[in-house]
Amino acid sequence: MSEPFEPRILGLLCSWCAYGGADTAGVSRFQYPANIRIVRVMCSGRVDPLFVARAFEQGADGVLVAGCHPGDCHYVSGNAFAEQRFARFGRLLDFFGIDRRRLRLAWVSASEGARFAAVVSEMTEELRALGPLRMQVP
Amino acid sequence: MTRLIEQQLRARAHDLLAGGAVDLFLGYRQGSSPLRVAPFVARAPAEAEKLVWNPLCVPNLAGALRKHAGRRVGLALKACDARSVAELLRLRQLAREQFYIVGVVCHGMADPAQVAASVSGPVSGLVEDGAELLISAGDEVARRRLPALLLAKCAACASPTPELYDELLGEALPAAGAPPADRFAAVRSFEALDPSARLAFWREQFSRCTLCYACQTVCPLCFCKQCPLTLARDDPRRQTREPVSVFAYHLMRAYHLADHCTGCDECERVCPEDIPLSLIYRKLELERQEPQA
Ligand code: SF4
Ligand code: SF4
Ligand code: SF4
Ligand code: FES
Repeated sequence: MSEPFEPRILGLLCSWCAYGGADTAGVSRFQYPANIRIVRVMCSGRVDPLFVARAFEQGADGVLVAGCHPGDCHYVSGNAFAEQRFARFGRLLDFFGIDRRRLRLAWVSASEGARFAAVVSEMTEELRALGPLRMQVP
Repeated sequence: MTRLIEQQLRARAHDLLAGGAVDLFLGYRQGSSPLRVAPFVARAPAEAEKLVWNPLCVPNLAGALRKHAGRRVGLALKACDARSVAELLRLRQLAREQFYIVGVVCHGMADPAQVAASVSGPVSGLVEDGAELLISAGDEVARRRLPALLLAKCAACASPTPELYDELLGEALPAAGAPPADRFAAVRSFEALDPSARLAFWREQFSRCTLCYACQTVCPLCFCKQCPLTLARDDPRRQTREPVSVFAYHLMRAYHLADHCTGCDECERVCPEDIPLSLIYRKLELERQEPQA
């Protein structure tokens, strides 16, 4: 019981930028917490909020959706679309009492390995403080 | 009030069917008890006599319309049902030419639970007398004012005159400046709770959910041919009513309906577990009214 809580994070990273950023972080040996599991998607605009809900359902404590910086999306506006839908989804999470920081949207380019590492570290710290997500009656 | 409308409605349905303007006419008939009406399809002029119109005509007929694609359908719509139809038309799920809409000005629908609670025994009869309802149970008769028995959604209805119709029955009421009750009072007080209390509330409510999906089946705006949220019958998560899966269902359903829910409250009405779904759907309405950053 006294072990520190280690959150589980699902990372949904766009193939063109954020996934490259994670790769760069690895290649450059930037340290980041091992709490994240990464799934590559073609674009942040591909991420259906259902993926996030299913991740929470399957035991994730947080979900990171990361893609290209505004204006850089390989498919022009996928990231802008992602931003809109997740803003709405975040407000709904809030309504249901799920802290919206459990869902994070970040823009990371393929060269920003350090930034990727920083985003994951920050999110892991935040989730450690929030504790496990409890959607079931304890 | 509704007695007259009922007569007019029967006459109009009769004429529309007899004249061949419509193939069928959708309305309500008396159900298995005085407190129940059921959706009803009149297919011949003689069947128009079975149509009823009274303060228990709650079920939203909008959901049944897609079944009748390709036929000419006459139907009676109150304002909230007309909103659902308007949304379905906007989403191109229905063809306007297919419908002949008899709009009915609505004075509010009674909450059957409150009607039943007005007398000691099982309700055996219900008669309207002006703005009053005479509720009988055997020899006992209670006289209650309709406004005191309204469903929550009706007490807070802003526009009882349908926005969509080919002809209108009843006298168009001027849109009330402010609805009599604040539609969002419950949402606002719920949102004032802290997040852990909100989470605990839904956890508790959803613990009763059996994933029967009645809320989704009845919803006129849940028209997807295959719903990705519905778990198959043999899915272990459905069989065990896995709490996290139930939670995910309601969260996602709210997201899917964020733009489309018209606030008809049918989901809450049919929920066998009395889960306060209208709180969620009123929140969506509030969101649309007050776009946030
Ligand atoms: S979600 Fe509920 S209130 Fe909204 S349209 Fe569907 S049945 Fe009506
Ligand atoms: S819950 Fe979503 S997917 Fe399912 S029927 Fe409703 S709108 Fe369609
Ligand atoms: S109708 Fe009620 S019990 Fe059935 S799935 Fe919907 S919320 Fe759950
Ligand atoms: S391709 Fe990277 S966000 Fe669209």
